[in-house]
Amino acid sequence: MEIWTTVAKLIGAGLAMGLGAIGPGVGIGLLGMGAMNALGRNPEARGAIMTNMILGIAFAEAVAIYALVVAILLIFVA
Amino acid sequence: MIEKRHRGNFLKIMVLVVALFAMIIISFIGSEVGSGIVGSKPLSFLNVEAPKYHPAPERPFHALPITNTMITAWISIAVLGGLFFIGTRKMKLVPNGLQNFLELIVEGAANFIEDPAGEKHGRWFFSVCTTIFLFVVANAWVSLIPGFETIHINGEPLLRSANTDLNIPAALAVVSFCYVEYWGFKAKGIAYLKTFFQFGPLWQAIKLILAGNIKAGAGSLLNGVISLFAGLLEIVSHLIRMVSFTFRLFGNMTAGMILVMIMIFLVPWVLPSLFYGMEAFFGFVQAMIFGGLTLGFACAAVMEEE
Repeated sequence: MEIWTTVAKLIGAGLAMGLGAIGPGVGIGLLGMGAMNALGRNPEARGAIMTNMILGIAFAEAVAIYALVVAILLIFVA
Repeated sequence: MIEKRHRGNFLKIMVLVVALFAMIIISFIGSEVGSGIVGSKPLSFLNVEAPKYHPAPERPFHALPITNTMITAWISIAVLGGLFFIGTRKMKLVPNGLQNFLELIVEGAANFIEDPAGEKHGRWFFSVCTTIFLFVVANAWVSLIPGFETIHINGEPLLRSANTDLNIPAALAVVSFCYVEYWGFKAKGIAYLKTFFQFGPLWQAIKLILAGNIKAGAGSLLNGVISLFAGLLEIVSHLIRMVSFTFRLFGNMTAGMILVMIMIFLVPWVLPSLFYGMEAFFGFVQAMIFGGLTLGFACAAVMEEE
């Protein structure tokens, strides 16, 4: 019985991280695309585009980090 | 003549790159996981402990309720305080050295804050937002000092990155939340509560109905209920912010710590230093996000409605 709890924990953690990374991956891709488009149209605004892109990427990444927290909690705490 | 010198430089760089790659490959093959893949014996001097992660902070002094993350937080407070004390002790009109650097930080933060908030509100927000930023970035960078987590007392590490303890981001998030609400009340007075309890449209609808205009009243009744519900949602979103603040910082810093631990376990040489550099950058970005989001929510709270 004990082993099934461990199995469920590990599968749950893997699923949480794997599925949770899909959305942020798409989001970061869209952000990079937007930044590249903006850069192509207006190469002088390089600095502002870069700063805002990194901020946006950090926000999108935060969602993946939540998934990671859930996975860590599942493995180490639950 | 010039070409020859260039060729010499190129050769030096090539030798360096090849040497670094060789070190990466050797250390990967020599480490525990790599030697298992290749099928050789692990090298004894590359023996790294398997990464272990404890979610809760440890207590190095068993009797005292002092965790190792608290000690790190004190260290970063002391570093910041000492830096600013020494830098501003003998102030000059034309700054140089440390004072110049500190003025660069403070001026950069002031410009960053006054840009969206305006001068009057920017002065309210400046101290809190900048303090949060400096504290988070100091916590992140203090923990990157080599040898930081290797000091052990009573079998527990004496120091551990303060942001990897859930309590410290949570405390910062509560401070940020309280200040945002305080600024909201300070700017708008008791009218700030209108953001959360929007009885106005509902009241008007009831008045219309009582006046006998039932058809128009019923239409605006729905409107009133919706805006009442939107106000309640606003309360929830203010509270949820604290949770998302906490887990964003905690998760990022913990993920960085685990990533560096795993990289050191897999490839003990050269490669982990790249991840150290990345961690330094992410510490800065997360600090900027924590301070900047506090600033953004504060601006939203004090903003005049049209």
